[in-house]
Amino acid sequence: MAKHHPSLDILTEYAAGTLSLAQAACVSAHLNYCDACSRTVSQLHSVGATLFEGLDPEPVGDAVLDRVLARLDEDAPLSYQRPAEARQDATPALLRRLMAGDFSDLSWKKITDTLRTTQIKTGDPQFEFSLLHIRAGGEVPAHDHQGSEMTLVLQGGFSDDRGAYHPGDFIYRQADDVHTPRAFEDEDCICLAVLDAPLRFTSWKYRWMNPFLRLQAG
Amino acid sequence: MEDSQDMAGSAERVPEISGETPGSPGGKDTSAWSVPTGRRTDEWSECLVLIAHKQDRAAYTRLFRHFAPLIKAFALSGSALSATHADELVQEVMLKIWQKAGAFNPEKAAASTWVYTIARNCRTDMFRRLQKFDTPLAAEDFSPEQSDEEPFLQLQNRRSAERIREMMSKLPADQTQILAKVYMEGKSHSEAAAELDLPLGTVKSRVRLAVQKLQVQFERSRDLEPQS
Repeated sequence: MAKHHPSLDILTEYAAGTLSLAQAACVSAHLNYCDACSRTVSQLHSVGATLFEGLDPEPVGDAVLDRVLARLDEDAPLSYQRPAEARQDATPALLRRLMAGDFSDLSWKKITDTLRTTQIKTGDPQFEFSLLHIRAGGEVPAHDHQGSEMTLVLQGGFSDDRGAYHPGDFIYRQADDVHTPRAFEDEDCICLAVLDAPLRFTSWKYRWMNPFLRLQAG
Repeated sequence: MEDSQDMAGSAERVPEISGETPGSPGGKDTSAWSVPTGRRTDEWSECLVLIAHKQDRAAYTRLFRHFAPLIKAFALSGSALSATHADELVQEVMLKIWQKAGAFNPEKAAASTWVYTIARNCRTDMFRRLQKFDTPLAAEDFSPEQSDEEPFLQLQNRRSAERIREMMSKLPADQTQILAKVYMEGKSHSEAAAELDLPLGTVKSRVRLAVQKLQVQFERSRDLEPQS
């Protein structure tokens, strides 16, 4: 069970549909691991539904009804037999689709000896959506954020000065939050990261790389 | 008889207390009560079930007359879409409802919530199309497949939905206004702040306050201070 969750603000924006595409994908992936947040989201949908029912109705012409009725035959109701999906700890379906395969099918770019990344295309014009692979026991060099960073642990786990994070845990950091995540000793760690500005390494050893960490939204 | 165990399948037995005075605490006559077995009894859920099982066009037409004007209002709120696009959205959403009625589960959600979610997804997709987003994802892909919940949790969910509905009417005007901006107009917190000429922090805390007043339950992260 996840122990680190999106804030109520983020869940509200998610439920209202106002989060950016890449961020929404990250929150949605967390929901795959977290029944508690899923319930919060369904309650937040009830808030939206109540407002929706309270709108002043706008008249819709009969022509629209006729057009829709005429099309019903092309689109017969589907019947749904939903497969019982294994939810917890499996890679979220949304992510599997975006990756079009497995973690091993992606081409990983080496940043340091222990850190690799790969960027995944979502179509979000503002936010970069990428996966980080940190070797067991390896460190991500100390960095801060010029914008925000959403992180979701997918495999293994890491810790930093504020806590330890396992699969399903969701972390949100804002600009100027410096941290040095270190993967657990016994397993490689894979995380999803959504950024709206490039990371900035703060330790002198890696600072030279900053110009190469250009954001790749899209 | 006092009818205190209002949970377990007493629906069929309720009418037997005919001789009693109406003062009894069951309150069985309120129109929107859901039968204790958990099935929602509102008209729109019934329409959806009829559509799914019998492809009932009369039920569909009734549903259309009720929801289409709301969907159109939703499309136009925040003057985000033109009238043509609004009609297009109405058609899209209504066709989706027809196709997907089989996926509606009255044990889990109110019909209006289900319709609202479809409308929200279609509107998001339409925005993205109009802005020429090149994405492999549709908004409905973002709803994770829900595992089937135990009846007890479903009951709890329905209760909290009813509570939310009830308490919405008691929110102060500024909080309702901000919720409408976020949900109906689809404004992000920072867009809402710009439009209302308020600091972002004020908007965030107003939304949060409103949502907390509605007693939406949420999980706080452990060993981390709550995020601001």
